[in-house]
Amino acid sequence: MNSALIVGVVASSIMSGTSLLYATLGEIFGERAGIVNLGLEGVMLIGAAGGFAATAMTGSPYLGIAAAALAGAAINLIFAYVVIARHANQLAAGLSLMFFGIGLSALIGRPFVGTLIAGLPRLSVPGLDPDGIGARLVSYDALVYLGAPVALFAWWLVFRTRWGLGLRTVGESPAAAFAAGLNPQRLQYQALTLAGALGGVAGAHISVALTLTWAEGMTAGRGFIAIALVIFAKWNPLWAIAGALLFGGAEGLQLQLQAAGADVSPFIMNMTPYLLTLLVLIAWGWSRGSAAPAALGRNFVGVE
Amino acid sequence: MIRSMIAAVAGAMLLALLAVGPAAAQDKPPLIVGAIYVGSVNDYGYNRSMKDGLEEMKKNIPGLKLIEAENVPETAESERVMEGMIQQGAKLIFATSFGHQQFAFNLAKTHPDVYFEHAGGWMQAPNFGNFFGATQAAWYPMGVAAGKMTKTNTLGFVVGVPIGYAIGNVNAFEMGAHSVNPKVETRVVVTGGWSDKAKEAAAANALIDQGADVVTMHVDSPATIIQAAESHGKYSIGFQSIEARQLAPKGWLTGLGFTWGPFMTDTAKSVIAGTFKPAMVREGLGQMMAIAPFGPSVPGDVEKLVTASADKVEKGFNPFTGPVTDNTGAVKIAAGESWGGDKMGNFDWYVEGVIGKAK
Repeated sequence: MNSALIVGVVASSIMSGTSLLYATLGEIFGERAGIVNLGLEGVMLIGAAGGFAATAMTGSPYLGIAAAALAGAAINLIFAYVVIARHANQLAAGLSLMFFGIGLSALIGRPFVGTLIAGLPRLSVPGLDPDGIGARLVSYDALVYLGAPVALFAWWLVFRTRWGLGLRTVGESPAAAFAAGLNPQRLQYQALTLAGALGGVAGAHISVALTLTWAEGMTAGRGFIAIALVIFAKWNPLWAIAGALLFGGAEGLQLQLQAAGADVSPFIMNMTPYLLTLLVLIAWGWSRGSAAPAALGRNFVGVE
Repeated sequence: MIRSMIAAVAGAMLLALLAVGPAAAQDKPPLIVGAIYVGSVNDYGYNRSMKDGLEEMKKNIPGLKLIEAENVPETAESERVMEGMIQQGAKLIFATSFGHQQFAFNLAKTHPDVYFEHAGGWMQAPNFGNFFGATQAAWYPMGVAAGKMTKTNTLGFVVGVPIGYAIGNVNAFEMGAHSVNPKVETRVVVTGGWSDKAKEAAAANALIDQGADVVTMHVDSPATIIQAAESHGKYSIGFQSIEARQLAPKGWLTGLGFTWGPFMTDTAKSVIAGTFKPAMVREGLGQMMAIAPFGPSVPGDVEKLVTASADKVEKGFNPFTGPVTDNTGAVKIAAGESWGGDKMGNFDWYVEGVIGKAK
């Protein structure tokens, strides 16, 4: 265990955890409103492709991130319409959204494969030696630094505002919310728009900040990890930070351990982040009294 | 009035079609070739090299028609795509990715009049042949370049899937580096797949964190890893396609690329002439492989060393000549023995000097 390894793991957990954090936060908004979106992978891919395409066309990574947020929100609105207005089964609609997102993102990204872009710049503290450990630990892009504040804002929104109270009520019992004079469907639309924007930003972070490329399916299942992390976080945005760091760290750790020469088969090493996710889910499921919103997955068809 | 005008225009168009139609039909292509790629041809890597080879074949045989499909996964889907190409008249199919093998082989059995060439495998049938670059020995001169240029004596190698051929590449790389720099070590990180961009970036960062100042790879596209190395100011050596040097204007040392064109041209010509012979073709430097131009930071004496080493390999030098010890100390190739081309898939051990676990 050398210091380079620890620094490397911390840095990589923060870098790869950021997109997981945004995706998890988005999914938390949706699920708090009672809607589970299995198509998060598709939304992230649309964000990644759209963000990359916008950055390539305009030359500005900031415009790219904004475009990704808009694209993600737009795609999620399609899902929202299908599930809220047409009362489609949420799981099936979510999976369809995923396939749609995979295909559409491939179409959007096709002309831009291989394009070199100016990615989100890494901000570093001036005066630090660029090759030193300190610089490695604190030079990240803007989205990373915004991650925790956005999570805090999400927590405040969900737990400390009237809108959030309404959101949580809709997720627990849409009939009760309706009886209290709220409009459950409007709240669900708002939640899913927000969720789509965050999911799009999550995807864009991978393409515009982390790898600076676009390739079909490049999120490689991170959307589903985010869905699992929502359960890990007990639908609380603050815990989502811990979950994202944990999973990002696990992936970074296994790669760092390989580079450091760990005497474990590389196949087992590559499995470890997913094993960790499984273990966490099993451990969380042990305790009775799930923290899930009571009406999660059910469609509110109105009170006649 | 309008109706008769429409009728007149329609009649004129029909006449034009009838005139052009038979003329167009007379330009029947000498051969229709189908090709499937596992990824996108804009990857600065493996798929780009296949595309370049096919374009060269097309240029060398005037009139040849090429049907291509990108992003064909290594699943039964590929069988359907290839079947579609056969329906369009393709008589020669290039299945360019390792995982397409079984599906192309299935089609070879049901279409005995269509010829198949698969890249990287071992299966054969009267209408099914196999080809690849003999990459292992070609990595030796890359190791020479890396061994001379490294200042930390640590080299980094990112491997996608640790199949025997990939492990052999790592071994030859380390042996080449060791031959000019006995203190040098190669660290290996396996990402588990041929193409996972985010993981490749993280793997390159991990190797650089552990001290590597020359990074190279065996994955489908070298782009992400080369960019990661360049952003940290480290050297990189490319693989699959020599186009990738555009990505690292400062840190590019050299690289290995595939030159599939001549082989593909010969195969297409043999199909046209009816003389196709299935074989397991493995060609190395000078035939299916080439060394990329050197980067700006490589001094003249290192260039000479690398070129001399490449010449040796072209003339038949085999680095896997005993005695060769693995990184646990066991002798894997006894003195007097040597591992030839047919054994390159058997590597499940890393040579001394490599830090990593093969299985």
